[in-house]
Amino acid sequence: MIDGKTVIALLGQPNSGKSTLFNGLTGMKQHVGNWPGKTVEKKEGSFFRNGKEYIVADLPGTYSLSANSDEEIITRDYIASGKADVVCILADSSQLERSMFMLSDYAGIEVPCFLVLNLADVAEDQGKKINADALQKKLSIPVVLLSATDNKSYDGLYKCLDEALKEKTVLNADSLISEYSQIEGFDELKGLIPAGIISGYSTNWLAAKAIEGDKIVRDKLSQALSGSDKTKYESIISNTDKGALKTGESKFKWIDGLLDGVVNRVETKPVFGKFDKAITDKRWGKLVVILVVIGGLIGSFIPALPLMGVGMAISALIPPVSSAMTSAGAPALLTGIVCNVLLQSLAFIVQMLGFVFGVTLVFGMLEEIGVMARISYVFDNTMGKLGLQGKSVMPFLVSFGCTMGGAAGARVIDNWGQKVLTIALAWAVPCGAAWSIIPMLSTMFFGPGAVLVIIIILLVMILHMWVTAKVFGAKLVPASERYGMIMELPPYHKPKWSALLRYVFGRTKDTFLRVIKVVIPICAVFWLLSYSTGSVEESILYKIGTAIEPVTKVFGLNWQLFMAYVASSVGKEGAVGVLSALYSGTGTVFGAVTGANASVDNLNQLLLSNIAKPEALAFMMAVTFNVPCIVAIAATYQETHSAKWTGLIAAYYTVVSLLLACIAYHIGLLIW
Amino acid sequence: MASMNELLTLLKDGNARSVDHLAAELDTSIEDIERMLEYMEKMGILKRTELGKVGCSDCSTCPGHNAGNGANSPCAGCMPEGGFKNMGVIWEVV
Repeated sequence: MIDGKTVIALLGQPNSGKSTLFNGLTGMKQHVGNWPGKTVEKKEGSFFRNGKEYIVADLPGTYSLSANSDEEIITRDYIASGKADVVCILADSSQLERSMFMLSDYAGIEVPCFLVLNLADVAEDQGKKINADALQKKLSIPVVLLSATDNKSYDGLYKCLDEALKEKTVLNADSLISEYSQIEGFDELKGLIPAGIISGYSTNWLAAKAIEGDKIVRDKLSQALSGSDKTKYESIISNTDKGALKTGESKFKWIDGLLDGVVNRVETKPVFGKFDKAITDKRWGKLVVILVVIGGLIGSFIPALPLMGVGMAISALIPPVSSAMTSAGAPALLTGIVCNVLLQSLAFIVQMLGFVFGVTLVFGMLEEIGVMARISYVFDNTMGKLGLQGKSVMPFLVSFGCTMGGAAGARVIDNWGQKVLTIALAWAVPCGAAWSIIPMLSTMFFGPGAVLVIIIILLVMILHMWVTAKVFGAKLVPASERYGMIMELPPYHKPKWSALLRYVFGRTKDTFLRVIKVVIPICAVFWLLSYSTGSVEESILYKIGTAIEPVTKVFGLNWQLFMAYVASSVGKEGAVGVLSALYSGTGTVFGAVTGANASVDNLNQLLLSNIAKPEALAFMMAVTFNVPCIVAIAATYQETHSAKWTGLIAAYYTVVSLLLACIAYHIGLLIW
Repeated sequence: MASMNELLTLLKDGNARSVDHLAAELDTSIEDIERMLEYMEKMGILKRTELGKVGCSDCSTCPGHNAGNGANSPCAGCMPEGGFKNMGVIWEVV
């Protein structure tokens, strides 16, 4: 009571409709502040009924009355303080098995209360029939079905309120206490706690909370007890194992018992579709996933075709533009810049974009449908074998778009070692830039065999991740007991085409802008370094390139390919641009090194004429598994806060990429 | 009703399970599994992560970040707006 006004406290879990009821009762008569010393919102309001004023305190929405958060502590302290004359406990009628948990946690508190089964309309729509009278008999407190949104139907609520206030109705928790009694140590503990030892709470409630592991209750009891009682108390507490699970199960059993005969419960048993059975199967799931991914990659070539055609058309413009500029008397340098840097880069960029568009569309669609979630589910065990958490799968998936995004996505991983290892492995995932050049190069060099090359790259990626996990894992993630994760798989549904296409076009446009920024400057720098008006030996790049070529040849990379590989460390998009700069144009180093082939107009043909298949394969391996880009290195440092580990990972990737190139080259020599 | 202890014991084999698979394995309803997960999450035994919210939404140094879409928008080149929305939810033992 406050100044003769009756105080009603509203208690319920989030989404139980507590705020709706508060607004329905108080209308505009409410004020909002903070609970003393806390940033938790305090809402109070009032209403008049039959000439009497009622104060309504809207307690914070909490799951239970445990001491797991400020909100929960505020809530239970308020109730125990005796400020409320009656507590109105809300439960969601549409999911009573879950929402009655608050009621079970209240059991043992002796402040009068009544139960409001809110959202009755939703339960009715679900076909549920709830017998509030039967529940009232079991609980010994007033119970009412309500739709708080309909504030003209509050008569039943007011009746319960009056009854609870008049009869001082206290929740009958006998059957719950019987459940608690089956927990080892509960009865003994209860016997040690004198009534009223902590104001507002019954001994049953305190004993249950102490068994549960509630730190505040345990500390208070420890302080309040003395002598042999305290020793016994501490012995019981130290011998209590999994108390939270045991008390939780007691509450669930109690709730189930209450609901028997009260509501026609509709229990959903799991039903698995044929595809779901196959894709989530422990034995065959991975194979199904691999087939889906391969199918996706093959499928992504189809939407890529139109843009590839546009790219080739731009490439075809180079000879006539070059001839026209030469006839018009344009300087050779200007003709070179326009044709060999700008137009050639643009042709490659547009062809790349075709693959970006195709891959993004197909894999975006798989995500929309719900298949990607299942892929991460199926590969969780593999994550575990690598010493990682299930959460690591998202940084890997994001890395297919951008390694930097993957590194930033690893932020959700709490364990530092696992975070660093996740980032280290995410580097092995070919990013969007790699996916834009690899399909194009593999199509150019291997024709229909391009799909096989891409599959090989994916298999190498998996092997690379496994080896990298073994190399760094022992240091970063010590072996420990690992629990499997639980996943709520999203239902399958049709893709939202407009949202998907917005994303695909957005990504293609973003890639185009990013690639333009990277490719053209890198291409221009390398082209200028390779440019010479006189003897080819005068160009800087030629001098450096030919000096190091005896070494780079071991990895299957002639000096032009090696320079393009070096450029890919800045941004993988730049690699093909550099190739185009180094292999094209009159007056450049190209003329000296390609001899007769210099007369070939189309750059695709030029590359095909001057790069053997084993070299092409080596180059693709080197570029794909090289360090992702400068920005990804910076992001890795930002996330790991370790220059040592960032440098170590970068050095490791450089060495491994060259090693993979070397292996691919020598295998290629055996084949071709 | 299944036991939470039984559920945690199952997870000790290190294998991932979906809510549906768990319900089938423990011979209970999906609702029963869901309330147990909720309880264990609130008690700090499990940690819940919405996979759709994981990603590059905070990589402020990325060139594509906030491309005119507000302070917390993801990079258009990495993820769809709002992240991968259909990636499900995972619970891991803390």
